Parts: sequence; structure tokens; C-alpha cells
Amino acid sequence: MTENLAVDKISKSFDDFRAVDQISFGIHDNDLFGLLGPNGAGKTTTMRMIMNIIAPDSGEIRIFGKLFQSEMKNRIGYLPEERGLYSKMKLVNHLQFLGEMKGMSSSAARKIAYQWLERFDLSTWATRRIQELSKGMQQKVQFIGTILHSPDLIIMDEPFSGLDPINTKFLKDVLLDLKKQGKTIVLSTHLMDQAEKLCDSICLMNKGKVVVQGKLSEIKKKYHHHSILLEYSGKADFIKTLPYVQRVNDYGNYMEIRLRQDTQADLLFRQIAASDLHVKRFEMADTSLNEIFIDLLGN
Amino acid sequence: MRKIFIILKREFLTKVFTKGFLIATILGPVFMIGIMLAPAYFMTLASEKSYKIGVVEQSSFFTEKLQEMYSDTLSSGEQRLIFFYISPQNYQETLESFKGKIEQGEIHALLIIPESVLDSARVTFIAKMVSNIDLIQQLRSGLSTIINNKRLQQAGFDPTQIKNLMSPVDIQTIKLQKGEEKERGFDQEFITALIFLMILYMTIILYGSSVMRSVIEEKSSRIIEILLSSLNSFQLMMGKLIGVGVVGLFQYLIWTGMAAMVFFFVTSSAPAMTDLIKVSPDIFIYFIIFFIIGFFTFSTLYAAVGAMCTDMQDAQTLSTPVTVLVVIPFIISFMVMRDPTTDVARVLSLVPFFTPLIMFLRILLIDTPRWEILLSIIINLLTIVLITWVASRIYRTGILMYGKRPTLPEIIRWIRTT
Repeated sequence: MTENLAVDKISKSFDDFRAVDQISFGIHDNDLFGLLGPNGAGKTTTMRMIMNIIAPDSGEIRIFGKLFQSEMKNRIGYLPEERGLYSKMKLVNHLQFLGEMKGMSSSAARKIAYQWLERFDLSTWATRRIQELSKGMQQKVQFIGTILHSPDLIIMDEPFSGLDPINTKFLKDVLLDLKKQGKTIVLSTHLMDQAEKLCDSICLMNKGKVVVQGKLSEIKKKYHHHSILLEYSGKADFIKTLPYVQRVNDYGNYMEIRLRQDTQADLLFRQIAASDLHVKRFEMADTSLNEIFIDLLGN
Repeated sequence: MRKIFIILKREFLTKVFTKGFLIATILGPVFMIGIMLAPAYFMTLASEKSYKIGVVEQSSFFTEKLQEMYSDTLSSGEQRLIFFYISPQNYQETLESFKGKIEQGEIHALLIIPESVLDSARVTFIAKMVSNIDLIQQLRSGLSTIINNKRLQQAGFDPTQIKNLMSPVDIQTIKLQKGEEKERGFDQEFITALIFLMILYMTIILYGSSVMRSVIEEKSSRIIEILLSSLNSFQLMMGKLIGVGVVGLFQYLIWTGMAAMVFFFVTSSAPAMTDLIKVSPDIFIYFIIFFIIGFFTFSTLYAAVGAMCTDMQDAQTLSTPVTVLVVIPFIISFMVMRDPTTDVARVLSLVPFFTPLIMFLRILLIDTPRWEILLSIIINLLTIVLITWVASRIYRTGILMYGKRPTLPEIIRWIRTT
């Protein structure tokens, strides 16, 4: 089965700094794929290499089964992290220009630009100059510019950064809609809760290397820990000494308890029940991607 | 190619439909005509004043002759030079008061002509300002004529004979071009050359820096990466260069239209002026060729400089070497204008960066061999290919770099990496 996007052992150095080091990942079906990692992990460099804006020092990238060809750019929509607009251009002319650059005819680009402006509630601004638009509106325009030409592969670098809650929801809805239409979507983010809700599969990067990758559900299963939230009053120090307890974060009358792998939570439950501790709440918590992220990168 | 065209189209439309373009297109010629006419205007302004000269002599002979000779009037109807007679006795007594009058500006000068002037040919001129070379020149030739006439008369020649003998020399200037003789004045030639040279120089520098500003704008607005997701940096650079170049040609087209209208108007109202502004169509073709060469040579460099900068402040420092490369040929071209036949001019007209201005001047002023013109065009086209290759490499890396200004070794590395 050909992958929509296959990245094979790509590396890139800037002077002595190794920004990306032997990164490999693939996107099989129309997964919403998250490229995750802290700032400086090499996400943007990786995306630029996929877009052929910069060339990798080694390794190869295949898009829809083929090595890069210039016509391919018409099938890709790219939203860079640093995104700009021609502030003096009129909104619809700007979008038409971006559409034409992706191989659309000028009339089609204009027509579809108007459709999107309608959907994004911007049609009254179509003939205004971009510099007159608010920041939130400009973000919408940037987003329309990325997907105007109905690309099969959509690559977005930190699409949610700087968005207000309304635009965040808007973007999320549109992304899910595009996914339903069978588009392949790659987005990078350092916001784990965002990724957790949206992505089907992820690649977690740190310092230019892959830390973990695969289906999000499988990763969560693999790195799942029993975490217990305990609200109590009384002396709870004995919990820290229990052999199956890995880590405890005690706030005085609130405690986060991490159990060792293969430990059943009821064991702890029975032990607490047997003590004279006064328990207000005993809750088994799911492991968040954020925790996995901290676990994997923290040490 | 299509993508280059789309960039070109955007560049053209956004540059042409601006107030700046409109103003430059209209004010450009006005400014140019202003530069041409201002000195002449100031010269007439200075002479819009009558000049009173007291002539001290035995009889009023010279006073009358001079007044007769310089009878031209100002626009107010007043005589430009007013000579009045002062008898020597009177002069002797009131010398001090005349000096006072000169000081106060009531009269402008005193011309003292001694009795022995026919032998000595020596007169004295007293004025507050003796640097008025024009006036002194006029007085000298006027007095010489009068004195010579008088001498000849004394030697027994009759006045008509004298007039025939003394008729002035009329110098007719004829320029040899492609074997045919053309009767044109030096002034016309010089002014035509100056106008074309100024336009060529101004537009090259203006549009070159316009390319640079456009690159910096795309960099600082961060739209560059979005553009690069649709085409490669070379296409972007070429689209931009050609786009701005076409704007320049479009402006020329408008100017040519304006000039044609003025020409039509002038020829129908004042046919005598036709000669002054007649330029052969070859010159226009060469002008376009050398604009294109000059524009691409310099604006490609400006594009590379723009890619190195993060903002306009950087640009001011970094673009200096390129600007110097434009200004030096411009300065040298004035030297060439004085004498376009020197070997220096000949060699420089073949050297890239110098060709656009200097070869163009040579074509305009002298009969330049066709093979030299062709050679210069070939040399320059090859240079443009080379510059474009180097610049596109600087551009490719530079446009994604922000923050610190690149050092020379860094730039060399950008050029060398594949």
C-alpha cells in the first residue's frame, strides 16, 4: 500500500546544528497526522523539507508515492508557522492570486474564494484591503488561502497558535470536514491537548529525532499508566512507601498517585480503605498525551 | 512559466495601480523639463534688469555708438544696457559721488575711455562686481568693433567697405553620421543626450530599488514561505524582476505617448522647434535595449541584497555597493559626453555595469560600429546570466533567513551550496 506521505530517514543540518536527524514516518490513509514536539524539535524544518522549500541533506520524501516534482505543489496546501499576507492587496484579489499560483484559472480561483469568504463570514470584506482587517479575520484569510485549491495533502505548521477560541473551533470543524472528504492532513503543534483531540496518529519529535510515533490510540495504550487522583484528610504518608506506587505528587489534601505498570488500582483502593484515612474522592484518571509527552521527554 | 507570469502580473498590477506610479509618471517629465529649463530661466531672470553704465570720454561718441550697438530691450520695454555720457571735467569733480552711486547701486558701472584709446586700446571698467564675464565680453567686442572701425576710417576706408571687411564669421556645425551629413547644433545633441541619460539612470536606480523593496516587503510580511509553497525561489525572483521591468517599460510607453503628443502640438504650432527635438527611432530602440540590460544587471543585484536584509534599515547599508556600481558609470558618462571618442569610453562601453549608460551615449553622440554594439550586448547578456545565477542562490537562502545580517563568508557559502 502506498503511503500518501512517506518520509524516509531525512536529515538536515544548519552549520553545526543538526536540526533534523534521521526522521522517518509515514501516513497511510487519510489520517489526521500530528507532528508534535517542543519548540526547536525540528517540526518546521521537517515541514519545509516536505514542501521542498529546503532540501534535506540526506534521505528522501515521497508524496503520493512519488519523489518531489514541481507540479506536486499544486496538490499541497501549506500554512507556514510565520504566515503573511500582502497587506495592501484587496482580500479577494489576494486569494485569487494564491489560487492562481496553485494552478487554478483566475475565474475559478475568484469564484471559490467568494464561496469560502461566504462560509467564513467575510464576504462583506471581499473588496477591502487586507490591512483593514482585524487579526482574527486575517487568520481566516490565511487559512482560506491554504485550502482554496482543494489540495489532497494539507500541511499546517502550528495552525492553532494565536487563534482566538472562535477561530480555533472554526478551524477544527473545517479540518474535520476536509478529513471526511478524504484529504490527508499533517499539522504540527506543541499543544498536546489539541493534538489529542484531533489526531489519529502522531509523530513525537525532540531535538531533531523521533521519540515515538504511530496511531495515537496505540501510543496511549502503550504508555498508559494508572494514575489515581485522591482527595483526602488525615495522614497519607504511608502511600509513598507502598512498593507498587511509582510516584506521588502530594498537595496536602489532594494527591496524584502514579502506579507501577501491571498494577491493579483496586490493590491501592483496598489498602486505603483498610487505613484510617478519610477519603473524599478516589478517581482513576486516563493518561493524557501531555503526560506521555512529559514522561518521554522529561528524562 | 505560468507561475512566473502570475507573479509578474501581480507585481505589475500592484505597482501600476498606485498613486506613486501615477505621480511619478506625470511628475517625471515635469521634473525633467524643470531640470532642463531651470538654468535657462534663471539666466533670463538675472538679465531682466537694466544695467546703467556711465561712459567717461571727451565727446559722447562711444556712448552713442555703444547704445546703438546694444539696443535690445527687456520684456518691460526698458533698454537692457543704458549708457549715459559723463564729461571728463564733470567726472573729475564728481568722481567721489559716482563711486558713491555705484556703491548704492544707482548706477552699475563706469567705463573710462581716455583720449588715447585709438592708440592704446585700453579702457577702464569700474563696477561693484567685475565678475560679470558676459557683460565685459560684450563691452570688449563692442568697443573693439568701434575702435577698429574708427581706425579703418582714419586709414581712408569708406564705411561700406569697412562693413564688408568686418563681417563676422558664422560657424556652422555639421555632424557626420553613417556617411550622411546632418546639420545639428551641439546644444541639441548635448541636451538630447542629457535627457536620455538622466531618464535611463533614474529609471534603472528607481526600478532596481523597487525590486529590492518588494523583496524585503515579502520577507518582512512573512508571505515568502506561502509563496514558496507554490513555486520555487527562482521562479519567484524572475517573476518579480520581469514584472517590475515591465512596469518600467509601461511607464516609458506612457512617456513616449506624452512626448508624441507634445511633439505633435509643438510641430503644428511652432515648426521651427521640430529640429530641436528630432530623435531618430533607432535611438528609442537602443534606449529600450539598454534599459532592459541595465535594469536586469542592477535589479538582480538589488534582489539579492533585498534577500539579505530583514528590514529597510539593513537595506540602506547593504545596497550601497550596488548603488555605487550605478553611480560611477553615471559620473563617468559626463566625461564621455564631453568626448565620446576616447579609448576609455570605447573600452568602458563594453564593460558590464558601464555599458547601459556609456554605450548608449556613444551610440547617441558618435557613429559607433555596429559590431561593438552587438559585442557589448552579448557581453552584458552573458553577465546577466551569471549575475542571475549567483543572485538566485543568495536569494534562495536569504529569503528564509531572519535576524542577523549575513557575513561575506556566509554569503559565499550560500552561493556555493547546491
